[in-house]
Amino acid sequence: MKLTPLHDGFVAEASEIDISNPLSPAEVEAVEAGMDQYAVLVFRDQPLTDEQQCDFTRNFGELEQTLIAQMTKGSERRLQPMEMGDISNLTASGTLRARDDSRRMYALGNRLWHADASFRATGAIYSLLSARVVPSKGGNTEFADMRAAYDALDAQTKALIEDLVTEHSIAFSRAQLGFDDYGSGNEDKVRPVRHSLVRTHPVTGRKSLYLSAHIGGIIGWPVPEARAFIRDLTEHATQPQFTHAHQWRVNDLVIWDNRTTMHRARRYRDLEEVRDLRRTTIKGTTLTAAQVPAMAAE
Amino acid sequence: MTVTITDLTPGFVGEVSGLDITQPLTGAQVAALEAGMDRYGVLVFHDQKFTDDQQKAFSRNFGPLEVTAGGNVTKPEQRRLEMDMADVSNLGTDHKPLARDDRRRLFNLGNQLWHSDSSFRAIPAKYSLLSGRIVVDRGGNTEFADMRAAYDALDDATKAEIEDLVCEHSLIYSRGTLGFTELSEEEKKMFTPVRQRLVRTHPVTGRKSIYLSSHIGTIIGWPMPEARAFIRDLTEHATQPRFCYAHKWRQFDLVMWDNRVTMHRVRRFDETMVRDMRRTTVAGESVTVEQLAA
Repeated sequence: MKLTPLHDGFVAEASEIDISNPLSPAEVEAVEAGMDQYAVLVFRDQPLTDEQQCDFTRNFGELEQTLIAQMTKGSERRLQPMEMGDISNLTASGTLRARDDSRRMYALGNRLWHADASFRATGAIYSLLSARVVPSKGGNTEFADMRAAYDALDAQTKALIEDLVTEHSIAFSRAQLGFDDYGSGNEDKVRPVRHSLVRTHPVTGRKSLYLSAHIGGIIGWPVPEARAFIRDLTEHATQPQFTHAHQWRVNDLVIWDNRTTMHRARRYRDLEEVRDLRRTTIKGTTLTAAQVPAMAAE
Repeated sequence: MTVTITDLTPGFVGEVSGLDITQPLTGAQVAALEAGMDRYGVLVFHDQKFTDDQQKAFSRNFGPLEVTAGGNVTKPEQRRLEMDMADVSNLGTDHKPLARDDRRRLFNLGNQLWHSDSSFRAIPAKYSLLSGRIVVDRGGNTEFADMRAAYDALDDATKAEIEDLVCEHSLIYSRGTLGFTELSEEEKKMFTPVRQRLVRTHPVTGRKSIYLSSHIGTIIGWPMPEARAFIRDLTEHATQPRFCYAHKWRQFDLVMWDNRVTMHRVRRFDETMVRDMRRTTVAGESVTVEQLAA
């Protein structure tokens, strides 16, 4: 496998590897080493079935079921396996979602900078996003390097945030956009979990900012002060020097490490054009902060 | 005295010298300042030791003052200043910094979001004039963004898309963004949303600008989440460093800006320190779009 940097120390293109077939242990190791060195890897021209994508993903850990699949009846899901994240603008029957479709409203939250599954107590490790159909214009996914953003903070800010613990919930990010329609029976899935604001990568030992649109508060801070501060940090962390825009081609697969990055989708003409991306996600294995047992969403 | 204006940011922020604005001005001086405001959008004056009365007198050169009622959760008996002075300090009536969890402080944290003053009023403000009576050494900058330059830099498709859009503005929305949601029925009524065009045209220069503000909660005819995501994108575009100026305060600075063509925000500072800023606001003259019947 060959790595060609696209953004210094952050994003690289991986070539000379076929990820649709079983990988050798050496290949798996090379991908993981590339992920530790960078944080986002782009594979071009990798046509994948859902099964192949799941098989490739399992090289890196246990698959996570997506929250939206857990909150949606099977008959309303286009993709049946709970582990296939449906990052598309399509209904269960494959037509374009209407402008006021509740699933579309929910998915608009992906346009806010976030780390996948930070609303779970253990977060997520990798996300793998495969492009099956892409629009002619717009719909980029942008990535931000939370290690570089951390490194660039002044010493005073680093000291201030070192031991801060934040509350994350899917309800916080969606409320920013005025969405709160989760359906009944899903109350437990929107309960906040706690995360350290500064986390350390288990392999590289590098510190990073654990930011996400899912953050709604900092433990011990008044909510408005916490949110204003998190906005400032997010603005700092998503400056152009820390970010990379990925323009999708069909059969791209992009892997990112949610422990060290944020990402977001950009606008496209979603009422007119199909964008069918499919995500698999590696479950987190450790807590970043102690939970309040009765509160933690799993 | 002649009015001299030098560029701090070409075409956006000018520094005025050679003028004592605490004293009455001649008609020609006022005209020169108005022309400067039209050309720039933000004017900075140094070493102007205003009393509140002098600040009001200077401000009235540009039109009647806006009454501050309806723009805050501070109750009349909690006011430190007269009704036509907006208290942009972090102080209570005892002139001491408000406690960390004081409701007034938490409400005022909304000023850290990019906004245009009084965009939540049906007839929004013309100029704001902010006087730095006691400033902090670190942090507390006020940043300004040029909504004319930001408009000009949009691509043609976006200009066409936003040309006739109308937004709803309310303090409920900007404060809701920070999780400040506990409002009395009286406050909710006071903060009833108003409508504003998203693209407005300056009455003197004829230049178009994007009328953005954190007070925006939706776009008429759009689903709310789609509206908010789009407004966030526009705001991010409009507040890129190339459209912005950061004002680091010196004591007795006065900064005046045209709310019709700018946004601004305050940056974080150590709120155990005293920061006493006082604002006068020149009322606007007209609505930007027809309002819903009350």
